[in-house]
Amino acid sequence: MNIKAPDAPNKSEQPLIAGNLTFHDVTEKISGVVESGTPRLWYALISITGLLSLMFFIMLGHLFFTGIGIWGLQIPVGWGFDITNFVFWVGIGHAGTLISAILFLLRQRWRTSINRFAEAMTIFAVICAGIFPAIHVGRPWLLFYVFPVPNQMSIWPNFRSPLLWDFFAVGTYFTCSLLFWYLGMVPDLATIRNRAKNRIKKIIYGIFALGWRGGNRQWRHYELAYLLLAGISTPLVLSVHSVVSTDFSVSILPGWHSTIFPPYFVAGAIFSGFAMVLTLAIIARKVFKLDNYITLNHLDKMNKIILVTGLMVSYSYVVEFFMAWYSGNLYERFTFWSRATGPYAWAFWIMFFCNVVVPQIFWSKRFRAHIAVMFVASILINVGMWFERYVIIVSSLSQDFLPSSWQYFKPTIYDIGMLIGSFGIFLTLFLLFVRFLPMVAMSEVKAVLPQANVHHQGPEAIELETGNVRG
Amino acid sequence: MMDFRENTFRLSSDRNFGKAALMVGFVGLAGCIAGFAIDRDHFFFSYLTAYAFWLTIGLGGLFFTMLHHLTNATWSVVLRRFSENVMMVLLFLAILFIPIIAGIGNLYHWSHHEIVAGDPVLKEKSLYLNTGFFIIRAVIYVGIWLFLARGLYKTSLAQDKGYAESQTERMKKLSAPGMLLFAFTVTFAAFDWLMSLDAHWYSTAFGVYIFSGSLLSALAFITLVTILLRQKGYLADLITLEHYHDLGKLLFAFTVFWGYIAFAQYFLIWYANIPEETIWYRVRWLGYRPLTLLIVFGHFVIPFVVLISRGAKRNLTVMKIMAVWLLFMHWVDLYWVVMPSHSDRPLVGLWIDIAAMLGIGGLTLWFFWRRMASQPLVPVNDPRLTASAQLISD
Repeated sequence: MNIKAPDAPNKSEQPLIAGNLTFHDVTEKISGVVESGTPRLWYALISITGLLSLMFFIMLGHLFFTGIGIWGLQIPVGWGFDITNFVFWVGIGHAGTLISAILFLLRQRWRTSINRFAEAMTIFAVICAGIFPAIHVGRPWLLFYVFPVPNQMSIWPNFRSPLLWDFFAVGTYFTCSLLFWYLGMVPDLATIRNRAKNRIKKIIYGIFALGWRGGNRQWRHYELAYLLLAGISTPLVLSVHSVVSTDFSVSILPGWHSTIFPPYFVAGAIFSGFAMVLTLAIIARKVFKLDNYITLNHLDKMNKIILVTGLMVSYSYVVEFFMAWYSGNLYERFTFWSRATGPYAWAFWIMFFCNVVVPQIFWSKRFRAHIAVMFVASILINVGMWFERYVIIVSSLSQDFLPSSWQYFKPTIYDIGMLIGSFGIFLTLFLLFVRFLPMVAMSEVKAVLPQANVHHQGPEAIELETGNVRG
Repeated sequence: MMDFRENTFRLSSDRNFGKAALMVGFVGLAGCIAGFAIDRDHFFFSYLTAYAFWLTIGLGGLFFTMLHHLTNATWSVVLRRFSENVMMVLLFLAILFIPIIAGIGNLYHWSHHEIVAGDPVLKEKSLYLNTGFFIIRAVIYVGIWLFLARGLYKTSLAQDKGYAESQTERMKKLSAPGMLLFAFTVTFAAFDWLMSLDAHWYSTAFGVYIFSGSLLSALAFITLVTILLRQKGYLADLITLEHYHDLGKLLFAFTVFWGYIAFAQYFLIWYANIPEETIWYRVRWLGYRPLTLLIVFGHFVIPFVVLISRGAKRNLTVMKIMAVWLLFMHWVDLYWVVMPSHSDRPLVGLWIDIAAMLGIGGLTLWFFWRRMASQPLVPVNDPRLTASAQLISD
């Protein structure tokens, strides 16, 4: 075999972690965030997010006491902000799972810098999501009807109801994501345990590190388990939001009943999830000075994924509108025409601008590397994706088959307050995470450093740091 | 026999396979002519099925090539020329679309004015579903595919003569908007050519459904061709077991993806139970039950169970059988989509279906083989060729 390949430089193969860091640098940097004193800014932020969470729970108390009439719900709009928020938050989670599972199986090693906090984001988003279906039922003490309760209770769960499937889908999703996140963190928790100077810290991190010693056998089992969990989580990326989409698409309501809903919802979920990862990554990068870990190369790749999934979402819009016309069905045609021109047209055009127009800027390499631009874009995209669910849910419901019952949906202060409050909960959890847990996967990042390659012959000697070098 | 030059990665004196394919093609064409004479309607449906089969493989090749460029992939460099040759069959298939234009009247009932006049639903759609616009759209779809395929292929061949960074950039630049154009053209071609056979029926997922089968069959085709070459002793150093492992993973993944889309489409229509949508499945359940079940088990369950294990993906005999099987199932799937619009029962006039498959298939393979033999089998100047050959899967 004689392949004559010119030694052309390949742009894509620049080092994933910049700054020529050593293994020790990585440990110092990431553990340092957890070990150093708490910055004032953190207290300021968590006070705000904590207050927002508190507002959420106060409103929740009022909701339980009074009933879901405090929201703007009416007949026929029986689902409003509650289910919009649910779908929005479940969707956010999907990027974390895609990064941790699918990108792992696709050997995308750049994922190591962002997977830990993306996974954390997944878990917190699913927690926020789970609240809404639970509280939207009106009589929350009967919520257990959707659980697969044993027959002895004389309750026969309706297995044909998408709401029950939601319970299974989101429950599985939460469990697997939590396990995956935790398992991946064990070696890093052991690092923090080893470095802990304070006895209480040593005990607490020690308990969660599960006796990790970094031995060869432990690594072998760890990597096998990681691969298996990645394999199990991969179908979840598709299945969870597909099941969520059936909440709508199994019905006969125009605008809800569409066969493209499952893949369309999945694409939208990854789209909004990546936008959220980007928002958080840009902030974390700035605040904790993680420029060497989350490089412009990482941001460029994330922006490309946002562009691709944004185009998938746009594709679905086009196909849905075309098919509404092509169906020749009066109701389908009306619903879609009304979305763009009717009482909720303002929401539709916000959605259209944010989800279709905004991501197009990422065709340009310059904008894919422009922090301020992508930060604004990432926020706009999440605004757009929230409105997408709002348009689907509210516009289809409010103009149903019986024009005499049409009335405009007006959210109340409680609708808006609980939406903002759910952001409070999400951000509070996230702040706790960055304070107490390693937000970048140290052991995985070390594995993608050039020094980890056995053929690496750089000037730096390979530094072995007991318990922290992979494999 | 084929002769292979180790240092240039070229096949030479390959004529035998090409000749054999051409012979089969002509025999098939003769059968087609007989079918045309005996049962004209059936011939056009058979032709459309066979055409869709080979076309979707070519489109899958185009997609895989563009995906390769866009993701900057290393592992698939050794497969790149194969997927490029697969995509180039679109050039030949563009000509073979002419008989479908000739058969519009036999295939699509929306093309008859008197039927449309008496059908309020079709009247609503006549702005889109009419012969003139149908042909214009077809020319646009095919034109876009040819533009993309030729552009990518030309640059790729230029790279064989001498490497320049600009070539890689150009292929990427073409692939990015190419993907977008591909998504819309394939979707609307699927709506026009296949979904409108039953012009009352509609499903938003139909384009994705055809795409999923298209990519799966293209991957199966590439797997099959490379394994057959390997058995003759060619390219074994370059396309290693690791590549087959990766191809196996992709075959598995897209088997699941196909099953996901097919199930989602069926399930949502079944659940909502709106008669104008369920009729499409009802016809396929009443008249085509064995085929429907064959698709459920053959297109999803069997490949899912077989390809899930690591051992199977690294066993070339298993991979070869699965590649052939998936290609067969792809044809069954398209037959199941097309034929119920023509006859209530399956396998009537099967000989015409087979003749059309052999006719289009033989000629397409002859064309494919000419491409294979005229250029190196791998992109010899791709800077990542060595890295690709040294792939370690897992």
